[in-house]
Amino acid sequence: MARRWRLLVVAMAAAVGMGTVSCSAGPTEAEGLTADGLVPFINMGDYAPGASPQRNFNPFSPNKAVVGFTFETLYQVDGFNCAETPWLATAYQWEGTQKLTFTLRDGVRWHDGRPFTADDVVFTYEMIKANPALDLMGVGPILKSVTGQGSTVTMEFNSPAALLFSKIAKVEIVPKHIWESAGDPVRFTNNDAIGTGPYRVKTFNARQMVLERDPGYWQADKVKVKELRFTHSPEGQVDQLRLERGEYDMNSMFVPDIEKVYVAKDPEHNKYWFAPGGVISLYPNLTKAPFDDVEFRRALTSAFDRQGIADKAQFGYVETASQTGLILPNQEEWLDNDFPDGGRIAYDVDKARKALDDAGYEVDGENRRLGKDGKPLSFEFKVPTGWNDWIQAAQIVKDDFRELGIQVDVATPQQATYEADRAVGNYDLLFGVYGGDCNIHKDFADPLASGQSAEIGKPAVSNFSRWRDDTTDQLLNTLASAGDEQAQKDAVRGLQQVMMDEVPNIPLWYGAKWFQYRTKRVTGWPSAEDPYATSTDVLLIVTRLQPAGS
Amino acid sequence: MRYFLRRTAFFVITLWAAVTLNFVIPRLQPGDPAEAIVGQLTGQGPVDPDQIRAVRLMLGVPDTSLLSQYWDYLGSLVRGDFGISYTYFPYPVTHMISEALPWTLVLVGVTQVLGFLIGTVLGAFAAWRRNSRFDSFVTLGSQFVGSLPFFWIALLLLYLLAFLAGWFPDSGGHAVDVTPSWSWAFAGDAIYHGILPALSILVTAPAGWIIGMRNNMVQSLGEDYTRLARAKGLSVRRVALAYGARVAILPNVTGFALALGGILGGTVLVETIFDYPGLGRLLMEAVGARDYPLMQALFLFITIGVLLANLLADFLLGVLDPRVRKEAA
Repeated sequence: MARRWRLLVVAMAAAVGMGTVSCSAGPTEAEGLTADGLVPFINMGDYAPGASPQRNFNPFSPNKAVVGFTFETLYQVDGFNCAETPWLATAYQWEGTQKLTFTLRDGVRWHDGRPFTADDVVFTYEMIKANPALDLMGVGPILKSVTGQGSTVTMEFNSPAALLFSKIAKVEIVPKHIWESAGDPVRFTNNDAIGTGPYRVKTFNARQMVLERDPGYWQADKVKVKELRFTHSPEGQVDQLRLERGEYDMNSMFVPDIEKVYVAKDPEHNKYWFAPGGVISLYPNLTKAPFDDVEFRRALTSAFDRQGIADKAQFGYVETASQTGLILPNQEEWLDNDFPDGGRIAYDVDKARKALDDAGYEVDGENRRLGKDGKPLSFEFKVPTGWNDWIQAAQIVKDDFRELGIQVDVATPQQATYEADRAVGNYDLLFGVYGGDCNIHKDFADPLASGQSAEIGKPAVSNFSRWRDDTTDQLLNTLASAGDEQAQKDAVRGLQQVMMDEVPNIPLWYGAKWFQYRTKRVTGWPSAEDPYATSTDVLLIVTRLQPAGS
Repeated sequence: MRYFLRRTAFFVITLWAAVTLNFVIPRLQPGDPAEAIVGQLTGQGPVDPDQIRAVRLMLGVPDTSLLSQYWDYLGSLVRGDFGISYTYFPYPVTHMISEALPWTLVLVGVTQVLGFLIGTVLGAFAAWRRNSRFDSFVTLGSQFVGSLPFFWIALLLLYLLAFLAGWFPDSGGHAVDVTPSWSWAFAGDAIYHGILPALSILVTAPAGWIIGMRNNMVQSLGEDYTRLARAKGLSVRRVALAYGARVAILPNVTGFALALGGILGGTVLVETIFDYPGLGRLLMEAVGARDYPLMQALFLFITIGVLLANLLADFLLGVLDPRVRKEAA
């Protein structure tokens, strides 16, 4: 409730016009460059979870502060092109599909001046294998051994792992000399944050974190910003007001009608780029009738106004999705070209109606569609409260169902309740998200693999619609162990066929990766014209930024 | 003596009931804390199942029987071990509370003591000058102000003094670039940030005491013993303070202890509105994130605080008013 009152104040303040209002002690404008030609600082968004941010620079903790500028990985794999950039390693070499050798970069130093060596890499991977709680990338179960020699590190895997490279190479490397004496690594808060990254922690309190450029960084010549200042936001609406006032040089948030709300405030400098993220898909509960009937599901594929959702609920920020489960055009190389229009299914209510009629779902005298048991069909659609763009989209889906004579009620439970219901299968319909991982196996395994599912009442990991199919599992296994590209493509074709024919879920639109940036102080941000990374690839971004006007 | 023993026994039983309720209630809420944390972290983006698995392992989401959880819970309470906050893992609950406690203690302590003193003094004056212009102004005024919800006053102050006038900061307990430390600079900054939250509590705080004190004292001034004191020729001051006020203040003392619970509830609103880093905001957040350990410890702290205050008020009443001791014995 209190949240709403706060919103009210913010709304009142906005109505009065923020120009005349001197609000919280915001950061002051930077003037010019420092003596060594650096941008003095840029302002970023929030930096740690919770209303009272705590020092936690353990890069494997779920409650960590922003550590992306402080710790580095062996390779960078950007989230847009999935291109690999050598980072702490300069090269890698597969021997077969189960042995991988990295060559490490020379001359890299930890923030405390000690040299970075193969020992640190071996220590990190062994620690992750020994502590599954630290294993955010899920590397432990497949890793058999890791050994270091000179400047090379060799990893051996339990099963073919070539397809999992992007996960393997994206583990943050931490210094052995600090972590080996830190006690339980799961509970270590790593307050000094000694890493190899371009920035060190300068100050940290409950309202602000300042990161400072490390002049000894191995590619310090590419880092042109002296300080990164992060500000804690008590509340989304306040955050949006700050964004509108140009207080952030970079942030990632959903903003309705961004052209008017943000860009129009300073068209020269305020920019945004919403790269496609995961597939947002209609998840029917496949254990319930009539969703267990493939004819019924197939009829639904043409029932939804995907363009309407993209335009109205998502403000035109997003593209409509292909039934193949692939993200297009990013994953076009995997697409089976036999599907017309890349597997995008047109909105055609009459076709959907006819398909339902043919499948034996009749309409009664009051224009209500009946189930096979002769009772009118009605479903509940669950969306977390406050996720307004999703609620909008659910309303459109509801209207589309009404066109077919099916009653749908949109319920908006608390997020935690929603997630619990989703996990145990206590729902009829909801939106699921998957894909966009630079890892084609994971993209399909998350929503479709039996191993990611569970019985109703038990929490499923990610296959919430509870798709269980031997063919799918076999295709996923084939894909994981496929030796060459053709074998991989064949398996992915098979998976697309499953999506098209069996309709385990109904992709509607591609979620966007929210990203706003300002070009007043610095330029070189990734954008639709220069899509070298997405907003989360911070190391790639920060080594590209240049002083504005240079 | 028996009075004090009975009060203490009553305190112990209430404490046990509170401790047990404190265990049961959070567990009746729906939802899964690990999912809530992952959801918080990733906002609306896709949630990596491997991350959920890691979080579950870390938090050890309880899947043992309720009875053994209760036993463990009592044991750890005795040891003063409140566990680890889910939201702020790996920080222990005691760390989070000790960080927030001083803010609320100072804010609530200062405003409530001030409110009580101001209210009692104004009420006493109003009763002494009964039916004067001062009396009607104070009585009517406090009735009006007292009926305003104080989150509304908080919003009004925030809008007028922070957003419009810009005299005070709109949120937080300290400036963005000031890190808490034992220094005058920090103290000054913290006081500056505390003025608006304190003011919003202080506007309404005296109202109840004014009315209570005035009505009690009007009555005690009309009693026979007060008339006798006057007739004896005692000084006006003596009659007002020792005969009128001393008796009239008794219900206010009990009321002060009882009001503490409500005040803490109200602090949740004020702290949330001003984003003030105290116990109230922490409680709000803990409930929202289903942070069981933090919630339990906070509820327990607040309950114990209110119970202790009541016990003290009972004791104080026994000391101030000999009749209470006699009746109980």
